[in-house]
Amino acid sequence: MAELHNFGVKPIPCHAWNQDRTQLALSPNNNDVNIYQKQATGWKLMHTLSEHTLQITGIDWAPKTNRIVTCGADRNAYVWQLNDGEWQQELVILRINRAATCVKWSPDEDKFAVGSSSRMISVCYFESENNWWVSKHIKKPLRSTVLSIDWHPNNILLVAGCCDYKAYIFSAYIKEINNKPGPTVWGKKMTFGYLMQEFSMPCYGWVHGVSFSKSGDRLAMVSHGSEVCVATGGSELVTLRTPHLPFLDCLWLTENSFVAAGHDCNPMLYTVDDACSSVTFCCKLDQASKGAGSGRAVSAMNMFKMMDKKGSVATGDNEPQTKHKNAILQVLKYSDDKFSTSGSDGNVIVWNVKSLESSIEEMKIV
Amino acid sequence: MSSTLKPYLNAVRTTLDAAMCLGNFNSQVVERHIKPEVEVKTSKELLLTPAVIARNEKEKVLIEASYNSIRVSIAVKQADEIEEILCQKFMRFMMMRAENFVILRRKPMKGYDISFLITNFHTEQMLKNKLVDFVIHFMEEIDKEISEMKLSVNARARIVAEEFLKRF
Repeated sequence: MAELHNFGVKPIPCHAWNQDRTQLALSPNNNDVNIYQKQATGWKLMHTLSEHTLQITGIDWAPKTNRIVTCGADRNAYVWQLNDGEWQQELVILRINRAATCVKWSPDEDKFAVGSSSRMISVCYFESENNWWVSKHIKKPLRSTVLSIDWHPNNILLVAGCCDYKAYIFSAYIKEINNKPGPTVWGKKMTFGYLMQEFSMPCYGWVHGVSFSKSGDRLAMVSHGSEVCVATGGSELVTLRTPHLPFLDCLWLTENSFVAAGHDCNPMLYTVDDACSSVTFCCKLDQASKGAGSGRAVSAMNMFKMMDKKGSVATGDNEPQTKHKNAILQVLKYSDDKFSTSGSDGNVIVWNVKSLESSIEEMKIV
Repeated sequence: MSSTLKPYLNAVRTTLDAAMCLGNFNSQVVERHIKPEVEVKTSKELLLTPAVIARNEKEKVLIEASYNSIRVSIAVKQADEIEEILCQKFMRFMMMRAENFVILRRKPMKGYDISFLITNFHTEQMLKNKLVDFVIHFMEEIDKEISEMKLSVNARARIVAEEFLKRF
């Protein structure tokens, strides 16, 4: 249902899987990337990539070309390639003068986009004549730190969530390496840096997470005002104000349902109707097992024991009942019916949507 | 009087729960630095609207939040001069030892008696619900402590005066 993997006590702000999901790259909130190999009994640390001089803020692993891109608070990004069992780095000149915040490979893995605190997005591609990575900037009209980035499946469009309470869809068409794209629901004109559409959060919240659906026709955004917003090309923003704590990341499971996770430490399922005109809450995916009810009888004895031993007066009800004990920082796609979450508690949990669907009654993936 | 205490503390608790959703944020203004945004206030878009929860004119809590830090300032009830002096000395005692408290601020905000500064590093190391529990517990205990100290000051004063006046 949900496999919990623990990697210490430090928060894991970013993680990435390789193509067959046997290796996991993550950063334990410091300057290094640890790559673990899945073994029968647990995870073995295979490599440590240390080149960044400040905290690592984003990791992405390109499945087909097997390259890892990392970006950090030291304003740098490195592309790592596996040569003879060792990971070799190549510096990418991002030309940003503040920290990088997030990085994502494009679907065809020929370029990647880096969001930064210097109010711009750097789209980088490999220039084979000079044998190095070159960056192009998208600056207008971003007015604050870029918090999250996601690519459209057509390899040209990308969406950025920003601290100026807006989500922007830009075109990242690079004529040197990309073919001319066909029109999408988001617009026809696609020169580099062209703003296709912009969405303003109704509650003025920082846009923590953005995600394109598999077809690219729908966009989900989660912001600090505890809102989930969904939009499709050319239409108005559809919002749902949730009674939960703000979400930090979201991921589409199918064309009509997506999962959002954040400060509540609990991934939550939302469904969108076919016409993309409303968002409804479906259920929480981390539900405490029903066996907790039988624990009530024993807890009276437990309570006096606790009072004796630890001097605590209240029962242990304040302990988080969820699998993640602290905020969930990132949600990634693991496979067609699984997704993984990494949190501030040092855990990476892989959730199986199919088995969750069978065990939770109100859950339905549409 | 105490019938307003429970809803007051509940309001503070739920506001703190919502406001303490903090995350790491590298400074937009200075490269390679991380600053608590609620203290430096250089980028207005990173600050949330401050909220004051007041039980009456004298007792209130100011909660200012931002992306990576939250400042909670508490104004403690001080009914007369003795309580004012006791409160000031007690708060000063704690603020001088702010390092041991970790989340305490060395200087209170203007108009308040004591301030906490909680950053995302604290919420990463410690459980958020325990931090909120601590602040609420602190608010409950402060009133009791100051009343206790006032009683003992009065008791001591009475004993001293008795002994002194026995001579005459």
